[in-house]
Amino acid sequence: MLIGTEPRGAVEDGPRATGQEARAAARVAELERRLGDPTDEHNELSYARLLAADEAGELSAAGERALDELGLGADFVPRALGGRLERLDTLVRVMRQVFRRDVALGLGYGVTSFMAAVNVWTSGDDPQRERLARILTGGGKVSVAYHELAHGNDFVRNEFEARPADGGGFRLHGAKQVINNAERADAWVLFSRTSPAPGSRSHSVLLVERAGLDPDSWRVLPRYDAVGVRGCHLSGLRFDGTPVPGSALVGERGKGVETALRAFQITRSALPGMAVGTTDTALRTVVRFALGRQLYRRSVMEIPHARDTLSGAFTDLLTCDILSLAATRAVHLLPEQTSVFAAATKYLVPKVLTEAMHELSVVLGARFYIRDGEHGIFQKHLRDLPVLSLGHAGSAACQATIIPQLSRLARRSWFSDEPAPAELFQPRTGLPGLPYDRLTLASGRDALCATLVAAVDRLPDASPEERAVQGLVLQLVDELRQVQEASRALAPEDRTALAGPAVFALADRYAVLLAAAAATGVWQQAARDGGDAFLADPAWLAAVLHRLARRLGRRPADLPPSVAARLHEEVLRRFRERTSYDLYDTPLAG
Amino acid sequence: MEHRPYRLAEEFDHYLGDPHDPGEVFSYARCADLDDREEFPADICRRFEEWGLPEQYVPVEYGGRLRDYEQVLQLVRAVARRDLTCAIGHGKTYLGGVCVWVAGSAEQGARLGADIIAGVPVSLGLTERAHGSDLLAGDVRTDDEALDDSGHWLVSGEKWLINNATRGSVLSLLTRTRPDGGPRGFSVLLVDKRELDADTYRHLPKIRTLGIRGADISGIAFDGARVPKGALVGAEGAGLEIVLKALQLTRTMCAALSLGAGDHGLRLGLDFAEERELYGRRLVDLPQARHVLTGAAADVLLHEAVALVAARAVQAQTAELGVTSAVTKYLLPTGTDRVLADLTGLLGARAFLKGVHADGRFQKLVRDHRLVGLFDGNTLVNLNSLVNQFRSLVRGFRRGTGDTAGAGVACDLTAPLPPLDPSRLSLIARHGSGMTASLPASVDEITRRAARNPALAPVAEAARRLLAVTTAVHTDMEEYQGVLTEVPPAAFEAARRYTLCWAGAACLGLWTHSTDHVRDDPATGPLWRDGLWLHTVLDRLLRRLGEPAAAGEETYEDLLGALRAARTEGRLFSLLPQRTPERQPATTGGAAGGSERTSC
Amino acid sequence: MPVPTAGHTTESLTTWLAERIALYLKRRPTEIDPDVPLAEYGLDSVAALSLCGDIEDDFDLVIEPTAAWDYPTVHALADHLVAELAAQDGGA
Repeated sequence: MLIGTEPRGAVEDGPRATGQEARAAARVAELERRLGDPTDEHNELSYARLLAADEAGELSAAGERALDELGLGADFVPRALGGRLERLDTLVRVMRQVFRRDVALGLGYGVTSFMAAVNVWTSGDDPQRERLARILTGGGKVSVAYHELAHGNDFVRNEFEARPADGGGFRLHGAKQVINNAERADAWVLFSRTSPAPGSRSHSVLLVERAGLDPDSWRVLPRYDAVGVRGCHLSGLRFDGTPVPGSALVGERGKGVETALRAFQITRSALPGMAVGTTDTALRTVVRFALGRQLYRRSVMEIPHARDTLSGAFTDLLTCDILSLAATRAVHLLPEQTSVFAAATKYLVPKVLTEAMHELSVVLGARFYIRDGEHGIFQKHLRDLPVLSLGHAGSAACQATIIPQLSRLARRSWFSDEPAPAELFQPRTGLPGLPYDRLTLASGRDALCATLVAAVDRLPDASPEERAVQGLVLQLVDELRQVQEASRALAPEDRTALAGPAVFALADRYAVLLAAAAATGVWQQAARDGGDAFLADPAWLAAVLHRLARRLGRRPADLPPSVAARLHEEVLRRFRERTSYDLYDTPLAG
Repeated sequence: MEHRPYRLAEEFDHYLGDPHDPGEVFSYARCADLDDREEFPADICRRFEEWGLPEQYVPVEYGGRLRDYEQVLQLVRAVARRDLTCAIGHGKTYLGGVCVWVAGSAEQGARLGADIIAGVPVSLGLTERAHGSDLLAGDVRTDDEALDDSGHWLVSGEKWLINNATRGSVLSLLTRTRPDGGPRGFSVLLVDKRELDADTYRHLPKIRTLGIRGADISGIAFDGARVPKGALVGAEGAGLEIVLKALQLTRTMCAALSLGAGDHGLRLGLDFAEERELYGRRLVDLPQARHVLTGAAADVLLHEAVALVAARAVQAQTAELGVTSAVTKYLLPTGTDRVLADLTGLLGARAFLKGVHADGRFQKLVRDHRLVGLFDGNTLVNLNSLVNQFRSLVRGFRRGTGDTAGAGVACDLTAPLPPLDPSRLSLIARHGSGMTASLPASVDEITRRAARNPALAPVAEAARRLLAVTTAVHTDMEEYQGVLTEVPPAAFEAARRYTLCWAGAACLGLWTHSTDHVRDDPATGPLWRDGLWLHTVLDRLLRRLGEPAAAGEETYEDLLGALRAARTEGRLFSLLPQRTPERQPATTGGAAGGSERTSC
Repeated sequence: MPVPTAGHTTESLTTWLAERIALYLKRRPTEIDPDVPLAEYGLDSVAALSLCGDIEDDFDLVIEPTAAWDYPTVHALADHLVAELAAQDGGA
């Protein structure tokens, strides 16, 4: 029944094993093959069919069937437990193929199961891990319920209760809202209050299986209607004294906040990169439009502003993929540091993608507003994308994770830390397993910015592009210096979510610098390796850094014209050859 | 000060009733329902007609009540504040008529005026499926170059993505009247579908859109339709010129849609921030949330000031409307999209879910408003038309030419407006912009006032900085004044910066010319005294121009005070007083834990 | 500073127009055939409106912005300008 590559029986590879890359590429290709060309109207997973499912408020049945056959659930399960999950960046690559077609399917079929499961992988015991692995590899779904609408990001104030009962079990009381797949999941991960005391030691994470619950004591709340991901089954759960066994407790009682925060480091690192697929499709859609449409006696692609906008969107996609790459690989390589990297990724990537979509919509003109036809997928992705920024993963919540760490980073890390290991920036190099136990809530270390600082003396300056890069890196390092000064000067009251706007702006600038640092690292490694001619060319890095510097409010010198030409050429090449607009240049079905 | 356009808009708004009351025809609940079902708000439009809104679209000389464009702006804003679908669905009749107001004969004007007043929907047929904003590529044509024997044109071809194409009985149709086209190859025909042989035209299916789902956005295909010669508006071959001039009017009036959307969004954001608790405090007490909210409030006032001046400039500075309209049509839709995006961050999940908060009004608003930037010339078209005028804008700014006297009238709310003389409309502003040319004088004026009133000192300083940036922006523009065909992206950036400078000049002009007349108003006077609104607006503009901030948190705190005061006193948050029709300043209701109200 | 109005000929104006239009189009003036419609060179109708500002600048002559629509080649426009300049001198 499963046509996916056989996941079982594998042994852990060494860190430099090439087997990982071969498996990743094969898995991505397998998904592409099965999901097919979305622009082909005869494909049951065409954009037209996916749009029709969205209009009907349903998940594409053909899509779910395909993912069932592919055994996608196993991609969320560690290899040691019989699944395929060995690397977070690979999971991103795999899921991107689903997201480029339909966010609702990516989220509705799988990602929320992954978000739930991560709690168990990081903090659960062996029986829980094995049980969950069986559910997911068997095609089942798991829901995650952090959210209570009344409390939003502030989940420490959540009221949903798991009251400790006699015999070591719990009784569930209260409601959780906006839960994906609540009514069809085999199990739910519930973030629950286990003590009435205020503060951060009063919550626990429970893995509650649906089978065996007293059916009269709980119910699924009505489904939500939303502007995006209309096919997702978003609803809620209400419990009224439902008993659950003590074995439902994931990790220690009262340690729920830590469990959740550690799980966030993984999910916040991984989710944004999956969404890169949506903007890839949006860019591809607009390139098709621009090449085909005649305006003022020429194709839209010949209009300099349009060409520039498309190259800009491609640059943004590279930036987002690079930050995602660094964050996901850091979970393996620098687990102690991932708290800020993950938050910065979750903060910056959706923001940049949303802005890129907005700019692309200007080129697409009135077509972006139409819900069906050749370009209809654009507005669907536009509506769906914001779902990634809801609740605990919202922009402000992610900034609030960064803010308390700024002053320590300023004092201890920036301009003194060691640069990140080269492997962090090599998309196709193998990685050691996920060290769930080494994730920490804050470390005060930042090897990414150290890479940027170290690059200053190492960058070549032979070509105009290289000199442009060098000038930009100097400006960005200067910016880091300013961020450092401002962070050092932060008053204690400015280190919380109650901080003023200037401090939130500081977190924003820092996130941008992390992206710039990661891009510099990726180029250095690609140039050394030389295997990917495009990535080894400094032109793209100049473009990425230039846009990031402008985002920081700087007005850097104009780039050499060759940079725009190189990017434009690459935008066209990848469109014609049907390869992805990201670091991987992945062959696509369409 | 009693300002008539606001007073009449208030009357109209009260006539329409409390939008929270589901018993009203024009209620939020009804609009949400129509949106879900993609149904045209016909009964709501009838309410507008009962009140007499169509008369306001028709110039007095053609039997209507349209005397001052400022008045139409405020009336359509009142509709847009409740629902953009209704504002666009109904307001498109105004758009349909404009070509006739600009270039039609007295007889055409009188007949069209009578139709509009009788409630006949009119539409404007410009765009075609393959050509979008490229009007000269249009394929809708007359089959013969001249009239046939019986004095008719035979019209064929298809117009697509047209508001009211199906519902409209009368259509201003841009038609190719010379086979080889060109700028003199098109004419406007006022086609009356009621007079056509039913076999010679058909409607195209409703187009399903992201927002404005209830509107009639469709198309019409003609196949040898016999259109009488009297349908020609203006001269044969003058079509492009007429349409471009008509678009100057409609682009300026589009501001009403963005203003209404901004009013609505800001109100939803404020109410949510006041109710919502996070981290043990109300959201409005979290500094970052407060910053987002007050920034949005400042932008809403910025847009109001620009629209107010621009609508008055239609009559006061008619020859420069090519600049005014491009600035307005660029700045207000993009600025309002940005306000809504910022507020989306504040509302979080409630901006995404439909049934949880305030009838899902926010997400509808965001979807609906995205259309405003698209029609009647999108962002790029407007910036491009400014780039085309860089030469005269730069020269005019250096020489201080342009209609500075007209700019003064536009900015002085007590100055009577001359009637619109359409013959003064010009495709380009040949002497530059009197608005930006007036900037040095306005800066001098506020500097003088600051010498007497130290509270104005930082505002005057911001004004001086704006002048310095404006001078620098004109230097940038000079570099691109020769680029007409291969407009580089940097020229668009210069044009974008120009729109911010123009807006600053308009705001400063409005404040210096009008504050003495309005600052004593008990309701909105505090916004004007000590230049409060102007200070925040200049700060927003300077930041968007890449300059350091010009106002601190304390200024925005004062603005928040004014925003809250307007809410509790049942007023619109605006530069001039206007009461809202809500029966009580109630909460928007049921924000927290509203899962019971979700739809399935 | 305005060029003196006296002494303009169709020829001198043709040269001036070809140079100016070449500048707009990033071409050499010799590439502009005075009898080919400007639109053929990609000077679209809205861009052509800008010519009137240049003409006013250099010749102190106020013409309709749409002149280039009604006189769509360099030759036609040059003839029109000569006539307008003559009318202006006559009227002054």
